[in-house]
Amino acid sequence: MKAQKHIKWSHYINYVVIAVATIVLGALSIAGVLPASYQIILENIAIAITLAVSLSMVVGFLGELSLGHAGFMCVGAYLGGKTVYVLAPIIGEIPALICGFIVGGTLAAVCGIIIGLPALRLRGDYLAIVTLAFGEIVWSIFMNTSEKSFGGALGMPTVRIDRDYLFVIALVVVLLCLAVTQNLIRSKHGRAITSIRDNEIAARATGINVTKYKLAVFAISAFFAGVAGVLLASSNYTVQSQKFNYNYSIEILVMVVLGGMGNINGSIIAAALITFLDIKLQTVLTGELAVLQDLVYAAILIVIVIYNNAPGLKGFREKYNIKNILAKLRKKNFDPSKSRDDEAKWDRVPTKIQMDEVLSVDVQVKSPYDPDKAGKGDN
Amino acid sequence: MKSVFKKAFALVLAIAMLTTFAACGGNTANNTEYVIGLSGPLTGPAAVYGVAVQNSAQMAIDEINAAGGLDGVMFKLEAMDDKHDATKVSANFAALMEKGMQVSLGTVTTAPGLEFTKLSNDDKVFFLTPSASGDKIPEFDNGFQMCFADGNQGKVAANFVNSLSLSKIGIFYKSDDPYSKGIFDQFKANLNDGIETVETVFTAANETDFSAQITQLKDCDFIFMPIYYQPASVFMTQAKGQIKNNATYYGCDGFDGLAGQIDLTTIPQEVSMLSHFDATSSAQATVDFVTKYTTKYGAETLNQFGASAYDCVYAIFNAMKELKAAGKDIPVTISAEDLYTLLKDHFTGDFSYSGVTGTDITWEDNGYVNKAAVKFTLKEADK
Amino acid sequence: MEIIETIINGLSLGGTYAMIALGYTMVYGIAKMLNFAHGDIIMVGGYTLFVTLSGMGRPIVGLALAVLVCVLLGVSVEKVAYKPLRGASPLAVLITAIGVSYLLQSLAQIIFTSAPRMVYVGGQDGLGYVVIGDLKIQKHILITLVCSVIIMVVLSLFVKYTKIGRAMIAVSEDKGAAQLMGINVNMIITITFAIGSALAAFAGFFMLMKSPSLTNTLGAMPGIKAFTAAVIGGIGSLPGAMLGGLFIGMIETIAQVVPGMGAYTVAIEFLVLIVVLLVRPTGILGKKRREKV
Repeated sequence: MKAQKHIKWSHYINYVVIAVATIVLGALSIAGVLPASYQIILENIAIAITLAVSLSMVVGFLGELSLGHAGFMCVGAYLGGKTVYVLAPIIGEIPALICGFIVGGTLAAVCGIIIGLPALRLRGDYLAIVTLAFGEIVWSIFMNTSEKSFGGALGMPTVRIDRDYLFVIALVVVLLCLAVTQNLIRSKHGRAITSIRDNEIAARATGINVTKYKLAVFAISAFFAGVAGVLLASSNYTVQSQKFNYNYSIEILVMVVLGGMGNINGSIIAAALITFLDIKLQTVLTGELAVLQDLVYAAILIVIVIYNNAPGLKGFREKYNIKNILAKLRKKNFDPSKSRDDEAKWDRVPTKIQMDEVLSVDVQVKSPYDPDKAGKGDN
Repeated sequence: MKSVFKKAFALVLAIAMLTTFAACGGNTANNTEYVIGLSGPLTGPAAVYGVAVQNSAQMAIDEINAAGGLDGVMFKLEAMDDKHDATKVSANFAALMEKGMQVSLGTVTTAPGLEFTKLSNDDKVFFLTPSASGDKIPEFDNGFQMCFADGNQGKVAANFVNSLSLSKIGIFYKSDDPYSKGIFDQFKANLNDGIETVETVFTAANETDFSAQITQLKDCDFIFMPIYYQPASVFMTQAKGQIKNNATYYGCDGFDGLAGQIDLTTIPQEVSMLSHFDATSSAQATVDFVTKYTTKYGAETLNQFGASAYDCVYAIFNAMKELKAAGKDIPVTISAEDLYTLLKDHFTGDFSYSGVTGTDITWEDNGYVNKAAVKFTLKEADK
Repeated sequence: MEIIETIINGLSLGGTYAMIALGYTMVYGIAKMLNFAHGDIIMVGGYTLFVTLSGMGRPIVGLALAVLVCVLLGVSVEKVAYKPLRGASPLAVLITAIGVSYLLQSLAQIIFTSAPRMVYVGGQDGLGYVVIGDLKIQKHILITLVCSVIIMVVLSLFVKYTKIGRAMIAVSEDKGAAQLMGINVNMIITITFAIGSALAAFAGFFMLMKSPSLTNTLGAMPGIKAFTAAVIGGIGSLPGAMLGGLFIGMIETIAQVVPGMGAYTVAIEFLVLIVVLLVRPTGILGKKRREKV
C-alpha cells in the first residue's frame, strides 16, 4: 500500500509544478513585471510541451514512429487559426480561440485517423515515411492555396491573442493535454496500448482491439498537435506553411527522445529546456556565433543520445547516475538496486520501435529456451 | 519525492524572481548609444542575405561612428537570427525592444517581415527595410522600404514587356516564395492579353534540376524570371544549348549576384535585370561600396541586399542628422515611439537620399520607395 | 518529341535518386538503420569536388578524392556515432543520424558559408550533346543513366557472388547466426557504410554535373526523396532502389510538365508513395517478412 501511495504522489507532481508556474507567472504578468520576451518564451514552451507530450503518446507508448507531427499541427494552425480569425470580431477573442481549439483539434484528429489507417497495415520505417509524406503533403497544399482563402505563399493572417495572457491559456492547454494523456496511459487502456507496443501479436491474441487503440492514439495525439497549431497561429500575426515541414516534426521528435522515450516528465523538461535555449541563443548569438549554435546543438544531441542509449555505457551510466550520486552524498538508505527498481516502472520501459526483427528479439529475451529463436540476439 | 517537489517549486520561484529582475532593464532609458535593431536569417539556407545585410549595416555604422556619430553619440546594431522563419520574429522583436531598440532595419526577408510589420506597428517602431520587398511590408505608417515592392516590380516589368511587342513569352518562377509569387502575380495581371505565356514553376524542394522546365521553355525568345540569382544561375547553366541563343533572360532585383556566381560570358543569351543595384556597375558610389565590402568581408556575400542595408543605415542617419539640424531634440535615450513620430514625418516629407542603390531617393506616403528602376543589361546576347 | 525528352529527363533525374537510394537501401538492409545523414555525405562529396576543382584538379581526380573523403567520413561516422548504439532502440540510432546530419550541415556552413558555390564538373559549357535524329540529348544525362545502371549491376553481382557480398546477405538475414558462422559482423557493417558513402560521392558528382550550384543543403531534399524511392522500391532490395529511384524521377519530371501541377510536385510524389505502400506495404520489390512470434 505504502509503495502505491508513493507512486501516486509522483504522478501528480508535473501537474502541480505546471499549475503553480501558471498561477505565479500569470500573476506576475498581470502585475506587469513579466517582460514580453519571457511571455513569448513561455508561449513557445507551452506549445513545445503540448507537441512533445502528444507525440510521446504515439512514439513512446504506442511504439510507432511518426515523422509527420507538424502536419497535424499545420492543419490545426490553418483551420483553427482561420476560425479564430473569422469569429474573433463577432464573439470576442477568447471564445473565438476556444472555438479555434475545437475546430483545429477536431480536424487534426480526423487527419490523425486517416493517417492511423495505414498504421494498421504498415509498421516501423514504412509508417515513418508515410507520416513524413503526409506532413509534406499537408503543408504544400496550404502553400498553394489562393491568397484569399489561406494566403498561399504569403501566409495566412491570424489574430494575435494578447501576449499578456496567451501563455496562461497555453499552459492550461498543457495541463489538459497532460491530464488526458496521463489518465489514458495509466488506465487499463494505457496498458493495452503499451502491450501493443511491446508485442502486437500477443496483444491481439489476448483480445485487445488493436485497430481501435491505434486509431484512438493517433486521433488524440493529432488533436493536441492541432490545438498546439492553433496556439502557434494565435501567438503570431501570420502562419506560413513552410514552417511545418519535416524538420519541425524532427525537432519535436528530438524533444521526445531526449526526454526519454515513454517518459512524459522527461519530454516536458526536454521541450521546455530546448525551446528556452533555442530562443535565448537566437537572440543572443549573432553573426559567426549564430552558426555555432546549430553545431553545438547537433553535437549535444549526438552525445546525449549515445550516452543515454549505448548498451556499452550501461555500467558507466549506473555508476554516475545523478540519483545514485545524490543518494550516496546523502549516505542514507542508499541501495543501487532500489534506484534501478524505481526506473523500471512500467511506463518507463525503454521503447522498442518494432522494425523487422525486433519482435523476435523480444521473445528471445523473454523465453531464452525457445529452440527456434536461439542465437537471434545481438542487434 | 516531496523534496523533488520542493526543489521544483523553488526553481519556479527562482526563475520568476529572475524574470522580475530582468524586467527592470528593458527600455531605452539606459541607452548610451542609438540602437538599431535587425532581424534576419543569419543561419540556414537564406543566411547569405542575412549575413550580407548584417555586415553592410555594421560597416555603415562603423563608418558613421568613426566619423564621430551623431553629434558624438554612437550607433549600435543589434542583429538577431530569425532563420527566415516568421514564428521566430516575435521573440526577436521583444528581445530587441528590451535591448533598447529605437529604430529598425526591419527584417531581411519578406516572410518574417509580414510578422515584423504588425509587431512594429503595435509598439510604433520606425523601420526602413533593405530587402523585405513584399507589398504588405509597409502596410502601416511606420514601415518603409529601400527596395522596390514586389508588385511594383511586376508592374514595371509587365509594362516593359508590353512595349516589346512580343507574341509569346516564357515565365519561370518559384511558386512557394512570396517574392517570386508576388512579382509574378502582378506581372501577369498587368501583361497585355494578346501575349501568350508559357508558365513554368519550381519549388524549394526541387531547385537543382530544371530540365523539365527548360524543355517547355525552349521555343521562347523572352523568358521572365522573377527569382533569385542562385536558381537563375542553375537554370542558365542547364539551359545552354537548349534555349535559343538569341533569347533574353529578364529578371528583377533578385538577379543581382549572378555575375559573382557564374561567368556570364559563357551564357549565350542576353541577361537583363530590373534593379536598383548592379555590383559590376562603374558608378562611383557602387565601386566604393563594393571595394569597401570586399576588403572587409570578401566577395562571397556581396549582393544588393547588403548595398541596400548600407543605404538604409545612412538614410536613417541622414534623416536624424537633418532633424537635429532642424532643431528637433533627439536624446540618446529617445523612445522608439518618439523617434518614429519624427522619422515618419521626415521620410514622407521632402527628405531625399542619394547612395549606392540610387540617387534622389524619396518615399511615398505609403512607405514604398521612389527611385529609378534601371534595366541593367548584364550581358548582351551572342551574335 | 517533347514526350521523349521528358522521359529522358525523368530517367536521368531518377538515375541520381536511384544512386542515393542504393546507398540508403544497402545500409538499411545490413545495419537495419535509417542513415538520415546519407544526404549530407553527398554534400561533403560535393565540397570535396569543389575544393579539388578550385585547386585546378581534373574532375576525375575530384571524384576519386570525393569517394575517398566520403568513405572515410561514412566509416568514421559509423564508428563514432552509430556503433556504440548497436543493440539500442532503432529510434535512438535514427535520432543520432539526424544529429550527424545537422552537424555536417552546420560544419559545412561554418567552413564554406551559406553562399552557393559553383562547381563545373564538365567545364563552363557543360559536356555537350549527343544528337540522334531530331533528338538532342545532353551527354551528362546519358552518363548519369549509364553509370547508375552499371553501378546497380556491379553492386548486385558483388552482393551475390563475392564472399563479402554473401556475408552481407547473411548479416542482413540474421546477425546472430552470421556471427556464429564466423562472420565479422562489425567489419561487414563498416564495409556497407563504406560502399554506401562511395555511392553518395558518385551521386554528388552526378548531381553537380547536372546542376553546378553547391550549398550545405545540397543533399537534404534529394536524400529524403531517395529515401522515399528506396521505400517505394522495397527497402533492402537493390533492384527495388533502382526502380523506385527511376519511378520518383519520372513522376517529378512529369508533374513539372503538366500545366498547373508544378507547384504540387512534392505532394504528388509523396501521395504516390502512400498509395504504393497501402497497396504493397513492403514496397514494390520488398520481401514480405513473416512476422516471427
